[in-house]
Amino acid sequence: MVNFTVIFIFLPFLLGFIAYLLPKTDRFLATAASLLSIIFSAVVLITRQEFNLVLMGNFGVSLTVDNLSGYFILTNGLVTLAVAIYGWLKSKTPYFYTQLTILHGSVNSVFCCADFITLYVALEVIGIATFLLISYPRHNRSIWIGLRYLLLSNTVMLFYLVGAVLVFQSQGSFAFAALQNASVEAMVLILLGLLTKGGIFLSGMWLPLTHAESESPVSATLSGIVVKTGIFPIIRCAQMVEELAPIVEIFSTGTVTLGVVLGMFCTDIKRIFAFSTISQLGYVLIGSEGAGIYALAHGVAKAGLFLTSGSLATRQIGSIPPISFSNWLVLAVCSLSIMGLPGLVGFGAKELVLAHLPQWQNWWLNLCSIGTVIILCPVLLIPCQGKTLEKESSPGLFLAAVTVIASLLYPHAYKWDKIIKTVATIALGLGIYYRGWRRWQWQYNSPLEQLENLLSLLTIVAVLLFTILAYELP
Amino acid sequence: MLLFSSTAIVKALVLATVTIGFSGILWKKNLLMKIIAMDVMSTGVVAFYVFIAARRGLIAPILSDRSGLDYGDPVPQAVILTAIVIGLSIQALMLVGAIKLAKDHPTLEVSEIEGRE
Repeated sequence: MVNFTVIFIFLPFLLGFIAYLLPKTDRFLATAASLLSIIFSAVVLITRQEFNLVLMGNFGVSLTVDNLSGYFILTNGLVTLAVAIYGWLKSKTPYFYTQLTILHGSVNSVFCCADFITLYVALEVIGIATFLLISYPRHNRSIWIGLRYLLLSNTVMLFYLVGAVLVFQSQGSFAFAALQNASVEAMVLILLGLLTKGGIFLSGMWLPLTHAESESPVSATLSGIVVKTGIFPIIRCAQMVEELAPIVEIFSTGTVTLGVVLGMFCTDIKRIFAFSTISQLGYVLIGSEGAGIYALAHGVAKAGLFLTSGSLATRQIGSIPPISFSNWLVLAVCSLSIMGLPGLVGFGAKELVLAHLPQWQNWWLNLCSIGTVIILCPVLLIPCQGKTLEKESSPGLFLAAVTVIASLLYPHAYKWDKIIKTVATIALGLGIYYRGWRRWQWQYNSPLEQLENLLSLLTIVAVLLFTILAYELP
Repeated sequence: MLLFSSTAIVKALVLATVTIGFSGILWKKNLLMKIIAMDVMSTGVVAFYVFIAARRGLIAPILSDRSGLDYGDPVPQAVILTAIVIGLSIQALMLVGAIKLAKDHPTLEVSEIEGRE
């Protein structure tokens, strides 16, 4: 298994560069890399493997693979596979596949790593690959969106580096476990980096514009997996360090609420999806045991939504002309899965996450679920025509099929009270949207999304983190 | 007796560089200046790693027969080498992006690029 893990982490990078050198093989190699991840994660999940590796001796690369990383890697594999098929249909260039495969590989290494420096390198590679994917169309707009992302992400990664060396100074190790006795400053700086990369709460305000303005396969990758690379290490650290619990609680509840509230004031369908991502990431962050399944549920469904959004004639809700049946099917299944309809993976995932939460939070997140339904309602109301399934939407249909099949992952959720509660929530949300919200369609573009304000928000989040931790620690 | 030890002064200066860099990213209105400020901040972070590495001693960590030498910690130095390379490539990428943008936005003012005056 050790050799398999090393090959699994290394191979995507090799395949990515080969794809650029031998352009005719590009799509096959990208598909092969994603299939390898799916196989690896299946082996880890089915045989319930848990192991730690230290490569290259002391202070080398340390890896941890367990159930949690299994689910995240599976999500990565499925989303990349769908995007590769999409690129196949749209005849993307070898450059696209190279970046996609390298991005895929570095995301995998985040999901396996267990020390701050490996994580840093992987996150920076992700930052660069993402920048290249975003700015590939080379319009002024896309270059600007890419630059903005890179500037912000590199700035927080510098803070993160300072945090990492402070951990090393006090503990003599870069391992995640060393965060246990680290100083408050170290924790604040590291968390600031990870929360911003993960698009959580106020530090995630960069996310809507970036995800909405990118091309649809890029948005699908970003929302489906890339943002989860910021959240995964926080979940890992929170399992080892108890002091992080209040931060996880406050930030996850905050981001669920913020995403839902701001999402209600959007009329652009891709921005709605992006705000829904901000809010859904809160569930992944708070999930502990359910985090893996929730990440899978959200990643697959959101990638399906973003991929299909590329074939819509306009992005303004209410004025979208009738779409083909297959596209409509993908949009409906994926958005219903995010809303948590029984029979789709979102239902089990949400129940698993909510089952472990304290009463007040459970109550509040259930209330926010109504908001989730309201913001995704416009998707269900897009008219459709015809009855045929098109080849064009096969990646979306693949992801929709996954959301149906993956609902078998947590069959314990299917109890009458929970089914009735969820169906009532969805019905209530649909009612509120159809009878009231639809008429108003307020639009509000937050000034917080300007670059200067994004940078200022970093300081505010840092102060917030510091206050919470200083209050918690003696 | 000195009021501050020389180590404390060096540490203060290094952390001041990081802060000045970040203030530059925040306050400079020009994109190019923001990118350069990021480089200043990155220099500060690199210096901080070197500072931490040199805490115990200044001798280069080379294997020898003599014992009891106060050598610098090689781990942070090795780590920051990676970070320097990554920082350099990101700087280069951002400057290329800025060159592309400068064709249509010659002033490179962030407010102008974002389309708000």
